[in-house]
Amino acid sequence: MSVVLKAVNLVKVYTDSGVPVHAVRGVDLEIEAGEFVAIMGPSGSGKSTLIHMLGGLDARTSGEIWLDGRRVDTLSESGWALLRRRKVGFVFQNFNLVANMTVADNVELPALLAGASPREARERREDLLARLNLTERADAPPGQLSGGEQQRVALARALANRPSLLLADEPTGNLDSRNTRDVLRLLGEVHRDGQTIVMVTHDARVAALADRVVSLLDGEIVDDGRIPRRRPATGTAGEVIDLR
Amino acid sequence: MSTVRAGSRWIRADLRARRGQALLTVLAVAGIVAALLTAATLLEEGTNPWRGLFAQTNGAHVWAHTRDQPELGRLLALDGVARAAGPYRSAPVTVVQEGRKDPAALRAVPATPPEVSRPVIVEGQWLSTAQPDGVVVERSFARSLGLRPGEPLAMNTLSGARRVLYVRGIADTADQGFYPEWTPGLVWVLPVTLDQVEPSLGRSEWVTGLRLKDEDATQVVAQRVVVTLDEQLQRVHTWREVRAAMELDNRLLGTLLALFGVVGLVAAALALANAAGGRVLGQLRDLATLKSLGFTRRQVALLLIVEHGALGLLGIGLGTVGGLGVTMAVFGSTSLAPLPVVAIAGGTALVVLAAVGLPAWRGGRTPPIPAAPAAPPRGHLSRLARLALLVRLPPALVLGTRDAFTRRLPAFLTVFGLAVPMMMITIGLGVWATLDNFLKNPAQVGQTASLIVKKGKLTPAEAELFVSRDPDVRHAYPGSTVNALAPGEARSVRVRAIGTSTERYPFPVAEGRMYTRPGEAVAGQGLLDLLGVRIGDRVRLTVGGSPLIVRIVGRAVEPDLDGEVLSLGLDSLAAKDSVPPGFYALHLREGADPDEVRARLLAASGEGLEVQRVVNPAERLTILRVVIVALIAVLALIGLANLLTASALGLRDHASDLAVLKAMGLTPRQVTATLVTATGLLVVLGVFLGTALGALFVRGLIDLQGHASGVGAGIGRAPQPVTLGLAVLAAVGAALAVALIPARRAARVPVTAR
Amino acid sequence: MRFHLLALLAKEPAHGYELKQALEQTFGAAYPSPNIGQIYVTLNRLTQDGLVRAVDVEQSNRPNKKVYYLTARGREALTTWVEEPTEGPRVRDEFYMKLILAPLTGIADRMALINRQRRHYLGLMRELNELAERTDQANRVALLLIEGAMLHLQADLDWLQRCQEELL
Repeated sequence: MSVVLKAVNLVKVYTDSGVPVHAVRGVDLEIEAGEFVAIMGPSGSGKSTLIHMLGGLDARTSGEIWLDGRRVDTLSESGWALLRRRKVGFVFQNFNLVANMTVADNVELPALLAGASPREARERREDLLARLNLTERADAPPGQLSGGEQQRVALARALANRPSLLLADEPTGNLDSRNTRDVLRLLGEVHRDGQTIVMVTHDARVAALADRVVSLLDGEIVDDGRIPRRRPATGTAGEVIDLR
Repeated sequence: MSTVRAGSRWIRADLRARRGQALLTVLAVAGIVAALLTAATLLEEGTNPWRGLFAQTNGAHVWAHTRDQPELGRLLALDGVARAAGPYRSAPVTVVQEGRKDPAALRAVPATPPEVSRPVIVEGQWLSTAQPDGVVVERSFARSLGLRPGEPLAMNTLSGARRVLYVRGIADTADQGFYPEWTPGLVWVLPVTLDQVEPSLGRSEWVTGLRLKDEDATQVVAQRVVVTLDEQLQRVHTWREVRAAMELDNRLLGTLLALFGVVGLVAAALALANAAGGRVLGQLRDLATLKSLGFTRRQVALLLIVEHGALGLLGIGLGTVGGLGVTMAVFGSTSLAPLPVVAIAGGTALVVLAAVGLPAWRGGRTPPIPAAPAAPPRGHLSRLARLALLVRLPPALVLGTRDAFTRRLPAFLTVFGLAVPMMMITIGLGVWATLDNFLKNPAQVGQTASLIVKKGKLTPAEAELFVSRDPDVRHAYPGSTVNALAPGEARSVRVRAIGTSTERYPFPVAEGRMYTRPGEAVAGQGLLDLLGVRIGDRVRLTVGGSPLIVRIVGRAVEPDLDGEVLSLGLDSLAAKDSVPPGFYALHLREGADPDEVRARLLAASGEGLEVQRVVNPAERLTILRVVIVALIAVLALIGLANLLTASALGLRDHASDLAVLKAMGLTPRQVTATLVTATGLLVVLGVFLGTALGALFVRGLIDLQGHASGVGAGIGRAPQPVTLGLAVLAAVGAALAVALIPARRAARVPVTAR
Repeated sequence: MRFHLLALLAKEPAHGYELKQALEQTFGAAYPSPNIGQIYVTLNRLTQDGLVRAVDVEQSNRPNKKVYYLTARGREALTTWVEEPTEGPRVRDEFYMKLILAPLTGIADRMALINRQRRHYLGLMRELNELAERTDQANRVALLLIEGAMLHLQADLDWLQRCQEELL
């Protein structure tokens, strides 16, 4: 298995009104192609900061980040931007669809940005929206969509360039349980298609979807391992639910 | 390329979302550019028809009219004279056309057009020996008579004989001013034709044009011509008088437009910066999203510059086309060199880009983490709001007062952005009031007399009899105008004597006092500046070789000749210059129609008198009113653009508060009132500030302009308080109405929707 | 299981096998598949307590079968059960004992314990996820039960996190 993402001794120190705050203190992480990694931790444990650094949205204080075998932590802000176009897709808690653009335009934007022709972009968008059951909402403004639909559009947008890495920051944080289920099912499907995913969440149900869970505490990794699978998924409810 | 595509999507979507505001921006910039272009056109000497005509026709600088044919050699021998036109024989006739009688001079010129002062044919052909009854008519005269080539031209000679000649061509010339401001009209004929029409040499004069090596020597040469020709000379005129006659007061208009344009540009830039800044502030999250998608900092900044700059550039384009269109329509062929057009368009573009550059740069620096929408700065109760609470204002007003100043910089920009247009509107109204004042009180600009009568063919005694007999003439002041050489100046100034030092013509004295005895005089600002003298100084001038020494005791408002006029009583002049008087200035009875009196005098004297109507400067400046209205419209647009930005920003900042307020029990009406108060307070502040500043500056500015143009300070009038009050009310009312629409919409949004 | 059976009998009288089927139908896969023997043992006890009355019904060419009826005392008992508040779940005391005691013995450190327990819970959570996936989406009763289990598990995980934050 090839390593898609590697972080070596990654550190982030903020200065908050003169006082240095250690948000991430020396994180080492290796993520292989096709892995689905959940990053868990209490709020303030530095998980959002970590994923922002991994996607170049936030600059690291020290340490190394390697993406697809290339060292990227030394890149400038615009260098990161160029890299993100092709290699990194982002999904945020607040969906962050561009409010003035239609759903279709939102999904086509990254493809256009990465150099696709308008036709290619449109085809890719039609394909993605069809897969996410959003074809008929293509011309709607994002404001008219439900939260779950918006997050699905955001997912489509993040996947538009077939990125090496999909980073998701609390993707279900603003969704009710039904929409959460929809989005999780989609993430699972995308993962089965071979997409490498790193996801920050505090929701165990969401984290349980991953192959591997990284637990952060106070900016440090306290646990990193695969979620055990006791038996093939055939067990009946009786084995997991104990009705007294 | 890829970012271009992606960026253009974003720009299109964003512009679609705020069409109205975008349109306003475009219109405001277009208006400003059009105003600037028109101003430049007016200021450009090119629009002054004289310069072009003089160059085209290789015109003569000095024209001498003599009784007999002058010795050309003596004139050519004068220092500074290069070449000459003529001498041409010229005979006065009266053109009779459909019951109209117009004075004309037939000038005999050869069939080969002369080298100096060669008329430029605009229609038809030049004279030809093949058609001896053909004439060429000066263009303004032809236009006044409605003549076209091929049409007959009937005329009476002085002896009463009637002749009909045919128009062969129509030509432009810089020899004299435009008909009817300049009479008589000019008609060129072949010498043989003139000999037939008016064989008597005694009823004609000779006209000689002199082209000089250096136009600055005009006054000196003109003086020498006067000395050289002496007795023979009827009169002399120079290119300065021709130019003055042709000028359309373009400079005053142009200066005013330029002032408005430049300040308007500042206002428009402010509006643009406001709009762009407000938009960026409202879009920080979207911009962060764009960056997370892979837009670089520079691309985001560029995107914003392109979007907001494109509106400005579109406005510049429209404004350039509009401005050129206006100048084309008013002045005919394009009269503006490409350089100023490029300079104005380029300069405005730079201003526009600078105005949107800062917000764009700030937008580019948005961190790429699209966090939850940034909370507006906490609004603590401002002192004003506390005061509002203290005097027990309704809660909506208190909250609105607090909200108005939550964001200090945008609040300041809004106030400023409204104050600047309002200030200019006030100044515009002041100019309007000044023009009104000119019209209503012509005496205040030295135009107590509305008719000027010259004796014409009559004797001075006859002329005086006619004017004093007319029932509508309140007073006829005898007057004379002479040119005087100023010491150390290579040019002469106008000395105008009207009335006497006891029976004084009511010159409007703005400073010092009126002259009270011979040897005292009042001067226009232009003259004071030209000679570098002050009130109380004694000046020594030379009139026709004899000295004229007067003490300047006051400054008069002087709309003529750039204010380079010395006014005094006839008894201050030497007898040779003052007897007989050159003209009579008629002060008419209140309510008398000058045109009626003129017609009556002409009829009574059998066309013997020359009667001229004094043109009020306000009449010449009528177009100024159109300009003021247009400018006020543009400025209102700019104010509106600012207002929209302010209310959009206010709404965005307070959207979350509104839900809380409603949850606390504010009715929708109170919410609306809160929002309108928040915007309205800024509007009222801006409008009042602008009006106050405008009212403060308007008189000073107009007087400054008056000073610079030589008319002199003392003409400026502030707009009437009623007018100002109405303007303020209209501005505030319109602003509140505009602010009300989004406020009501916001008030109706349910509490839970977020 | 006593009251579950009483509740089913309150609806209509039934014999043992019918009760087993009714339980399975109502809860589907979410209910730990009941053992028929266990059901009969419970029914016998209920009969002894006088909450249920058994009536033999003759069947042609098969042994008689017992149909159970709810007695008045049985209805009373059922009402009491429904009306009394249900006790909340208790913390996983066994793990807590391990967590507190193990370090004293030096057998394991708390960090390892917590991490192992978390992975285990996450594994359980995944199974619940998969179970929910497999469950018929129309079966609301079953899905609610699974969701309840998930929420309990989430609470356990949150508690683990607190332990980790406080004890380490």
